[in-house]
Amino acid sequence: MEVLIQLAFIGLLLLVGLVFGRMAEKRHYRDIERREAELADLLVFNERTPPADRPIREATLVVGSVVIGEDYFKRMAAALKGLVGGRLTAYESLMDRGRREAILRMKEAARARGARSVFNVRFETASLSEAHVGARPMFSAEFIAYGTALID
Amino acid sequence: MSYENPQVRHEVNVSRESVLVEFLRLAIGVALAVLAAAAVLYVGGGALARFIPYSVEQGWVGDRVLAPVEAGPNAADAAAVEPYLQRLAGDLARHMDLPEGMHPVVHWSDAAAPNAFATLGGHVVVTRGLYTRMPSENALALVLAHELAHLRKRDPISAVGGSATLALALVLLGGDADQLVPHVAQAVQLGYSRRAERRADAAAVDAVIAEYGHAGGAASVFEVLTDYAEASQGAAPTLLSTHPSDEERIARLQRAALDWDPVRQPLRPLRVRVTSAEGRRSSLDRPRLKP
Amino acid sequence: MELSNLEVIPGRRVLRHLGLVQGSTVRSKHAGRDIMAGLKNIVGGELKGYTELLIEAREEAIARMVAQAQSVGANAVINVRFSTSNITSGAAEVMAYGTAVFAE
Repeated sequence: MEVLIQLAFIGLLLLVGLVFGRMAEKRHYRDIERREAELADLLVFNERTPPADRPIREATLVVGSVVIGEDYFKRMAAALKGLVGGRLTAYESLMDRGRREAILRMKEAARARGARSVFNVRFETASLSEAHVGARPMFSAEFIAYGTALID
Repeated sequence: MSYENPQVRHEVNVSRESVLVEFLRLAIGVALAVLAAAAVLYVGGGALARFIPYSVEQGWVGDRVLAPVEAGPNAADAAAVEPYLQRLAGDLARHMDLPEGMHPVVHWSDAAAPNAFATLGGHVVVTRGLYTRMPSENALALVLAHELAHLRKRDPISAVGGSATLALALVLLGGDADQLVPHVAQAVQLGYSRRAERRADAAAVDAVIAEYGHAGGAASVFEVLTDYAEASQGAAPTLLSTHPSDEERIARLQRAALDWDPVRQPLRPLRVRVTSAEGRRSSLDRPRLKP
Repeated sequence: MELSNLEVIPGRRVLRHLGLVQGSTVRSKHAGRDIMAGLKNIVGGELKGYTELLIEAREEAIARMVAQAQSVGANAVINVRFSTSNITSGAAEVMAYGTAVFAE
């Protein structure tokens, strides 16, 4: 009997995670696409050498960072996939959103300084859940994008 | 040399395959695999359970198997009869070639219905209802020898069979098998196969003949039980459920006792008396001698 | 599609710089590999199962980065960098990123 109640509880969490998680994800993607369109004119490259012909007044480090966590459904999907192995599609969207959000925030910081391009863009991704102790902490990762904004 | 940022295709980094579909597929697959493994363990376990060493069976079961059996409020009767039952079982066991390390323990149960069973861990239980209806020690000996024969062939753990193997697997995987023991023990009481019963009957007759020199009085066990079944009108105890028919067993025992001479080989009375639930004395006063 | 982690492509002039491209993939190990690795951890040394897993992941990440580069009309990717991060549930994300260029 208790087993049934536990299963029902897990099922409920899964459903909430699935439904609301997807809604939140869609909303985030729409937001990302809107801002990407707005900031499309601010160029980013990961080359170290800025263009030689353009004069540069100022160069400053800009960083964009975000922490994104998983929902219950993603966690269960990962647990199941962990038995058979292979590509973990549930997390792909999470990582993609995180990265694009970090780049956007870096661009926004650069735009705020009046820059027109950012060079030597680098990424760092760090998973944070190691800090928790106990059974299966929820996964969350910090995404950082940083580069040098060129203001001319 | 131009610097530009054309729109990239972000979709390459996110697979198009639906996460939900894949999740359901995996969940169902895992569930089926677990069920299949459990089924294999259950069926295979039935066949292989008797190879679990007796010492393991004892250690795992301990005294918990007796939880469904109550000694009842008449502890004095238990204290009086159990040593007698134990001694009788010991005498019979000497003729039965029990495996190394198997020392059956006989217990008294206060239940009013006549019943006797052998269960896990080498425990045999005899009820008040059976004991007070036995017309002679020879009849009681047949019952005890029958249960000892079940123990000798590891029938309890085979009957439990698949459940035992599944429980063992759970324990190995770190689970807690303690709650399973009483359920498993009750499964044993649901009865053994007909083949096991016939085998136990034959072994019991041999043991009784070895002990007393004859098989007289043994058939009366089933006469007593048949009478009880008729009197209680269908509420027959478990003893009778999967067993071969009583007529068959009575006939076989009577054949075994063909050369019995009741005069030169008198039946022994029960050594210890006890008051039955209905207030009857042990049936020493009503000997039933059938040819 | 040429890949390089240099700033330039030796011998070829870059005509168009087409911006950042990234490819990433998340791969999970399976229970069998996990058990073998657990056993290997007793003696130490290379965990071949995981090495292979991450090699596959890296190759897929590079393939996705190349696909992104193709979608913007590049024929080379320079300044390629990798980043691997651990996802607690026994999975890892491998990302490859670089600048897509059109070289002569």
